[in-house]
Amino acid sequence: MKNSENMSQGLLKLLALDHAVDFLKNTTISSDALTWKRVCGSIATVLVILLFLSGAFMALYYSPYPGAAYDSVQYAEFDLPFGDVIRGIHHWSWNLLLVVMLLHMTRTFFTGAYKPPREMVWVSGVLLLLVVPLAIITGDLLPWTQAGYWTTRVRVSIISSVPVIGPFMVDLLQGGPRTGIVALTRFYVLHVIFLPAGIISLLALHFYFLRLKGLADPIMPSRLPKRNIALLPDMINRWLILFIVVTLAIGIATRFWFAVPYGDPADPSDSRFVPKPEWWVLFLNQLVSIFKGPFTIVGSAVIPGALAGLLLVLPFISRSPERRPVRRWKEILVAMLIAAAILGLSVMSWIEHFTSTVA
Amino acid sequence: MNRRLLSFGMMFLVIGCMSFGMYRIAQAAQLTVKVAHIKSAPAGLDDPVWKNIQAVSISMEGRDALSGRKETMAAKAAYTDTDIFLLFKWKDPTRSVTKQSWIFNGINWKHLPGDEDRLAILFEITRISKFATRGCAVTCHSPPELSKDQWVLATKNAPEMGDLWHWKAARSDPYKYADDSWLTIPGLLGEYDPNKQSGRRSDAGSGGDIKNEVADKSKPRYMPGPTRSGGDSGVLPAEDAVEITDYTIFKPGDVLTYRMPRKPAGSRADISAVSRYQDGGWILMLYRKLNTGHDDDVIFDPKKQYSFAMGLFDDAGDDHSKATEPLTLKFLKSDRNY
Repeated sequence: MKNSENMSQGLLKLLALDHAVDFLKNTTISSDALTWKRVCGSIATVLVILLFLSGAFMALYYSPYPGAAYDSVQYAEFDLPFGDVIRGIHHWSWNLLLVVMLLHMTRTFFTGAYKPPREMVWVSGVLLLLVVPLAIITGDLLPWTQAGYWTTRVRVSIISSVPVIGPFMVDLLQGGPRTGIVALTRFYVLHVIFLPAGIISLLALHFYFLRLKGLADPIMPSRLPKRNIALLPDMINRWLILFIVVTLAIGIATRFWFAVPYGDPADPSDSRFVPKPEWWVLFLNQLVSIFKGPFTIVGSAVIPGALAGLLLVLPFISRSPERRPVRRWKEILVAMLIAAAILGLSVMSWIEHFTSTVA
Repeated sequence: MNRRLLSFGMMFLVIGCMSFGMYRIAQAAQLTVKVAHIKSAPAGLDDPVWKNIQAVSISMEGRDALSGRKETMAAKAAYTDTDIFLLFKWKDPTRSVTKQSWIFNGINWKHLPGDEDRLAILFEITRISKFATRGCAVTCHSPPELSKDQWVLATKNAPEMGDLWHWKAARSDPYKYADDSWLTIPGLLGEYDPNKQSGRRSDAGSGGDIKNEVADKSKPRYMPGPTRSGGDSGVLPAEDAVEITDYTIFKPGDVLTYRMPRKPAGSRADISAVSRYQDGGWILMLYRKLNTGHDDDVIFDPKKQYSFAMGLFDDAGDDHSKATEPLTLKFLKSDRNY
């Protein structure tokens, strides 16, 4: 036993990792981090790691060329052992990541945990929530399916409708007006290099601020004595267990019940195809449908931008130290009204796109 | 502790419900023929298993000379661990199996006017650009900017390969198969008309038919011999034919097959067929190995879905057909047997 410990210490030293491990062992966090109430943050972290790992595997077989992209994805999915499971894990992980991040944020809002001194924890979290959809948007085009292609066309046309910067953004994104090989290459590079780098940076910032400012205390003080736990092994072991559980759960679910839906290969000349919005953009889609003509910008940029801005500045405009929801009823009411509006718009959009007769 | 467990359970319930919602939302909306898993191969057209499988109604629209005419076909599909079975049913007031048979009027031999009912199905062996969204428009009715007489049944690029199943009431059905061919870029190698550019190639092996005519095409060359091996369609198979040595034995009104089917073998005989003409329509079952092991055939992997398109030819010897929009063949999971 002693020998193996000495060996591992020696190996860590050899790799110059001993200081890093010591740092992790000496880093302590509140034991409150292990409660079920805070599990969403841990699940989100695990899902991000799962996305990176499954994405790295798929990248080994992916070919970012319009004539080959669809078949390369199909090959990885159907001709490689567990290819369908890995693609399923990638697909459902981002769906779940959005859900879990929203739950995490909702809890943070209701418990007032975003308030000073944790403003930057909140801001980095909101930025993460804004970057993840960009990764989803760029990822949608990569399999080069009809749905992915025409959904991207709709998104590009919405972006281009934004005055002044819209056309520039479209040029930057896809290298011109056409969604072709340049667009696919740029989306691929954004999806596998720049956006993951952004997510890692924001995640690191989120944890950095969290460590600096600490977890918010429970609103109702616990009768149990407060204690600290070590990041390594306590917290990291928890993440490892969660990683195994989440991987198995999604892997089994996608293998047996929820195979990733895929459609026909993209046909840029088939303008009859009408893409249907994914669940998380239903409300944005409805906003674009409501505001037309000269008011398009209101639905495509002003309202979504204002919402994102409001989320970002929330800790700076809500300065009261009061965290109990009943004492913050005005704030809570406004948030619930906004949530109800988003839900209402989503339902309207869903009815419009998914309950009409299909040919 | 119980409260914690309850809240944890509730959270996963919410996530689970939302996941289910996402799954539903993500479904594509297009005409799909679902292939149900069955434990054992259906015995034939009347096997009870077909009653449990839902039929899909497929619309077919007339092309070219048949423009404006419509047809509806009912399709069912099933698969076992080794084979795929497709069942089609369509109305056809006339059973056409004569294919320009010879008739003797006492002096001369003439061709009867009737032709042949046929069904053609095209799958992709390798990806055919835009086939999934345009169907036969990219292989049979193309290029659209050219007049019809310049159209070529072919793919556009060499790596693109199609698998063409061609059931012919007069020329393949007597041997209970659908002629298995494949599609590639145009060339003059087609056996169907050596002078016409075509991308159609017969699968390896033998089959097809022989024209029953003498060199000057004025009369038949063969008549039925003492044996019959090609089914009960009334059509004379080439293997049963013997050369006519004495034309005086024929009396006015005698009919002889003009296109004599040949016994299929090899990859060309991969697709078996069972058919029946009844109540003013055809019922046809085509079946084949999921993987024939031949390079000139599509491999069906139940994990995948396949684009295909069909053309229906009523009493026709030409390429005027009623055709479908592109369709999707999707295999249902094997955990639910019918």
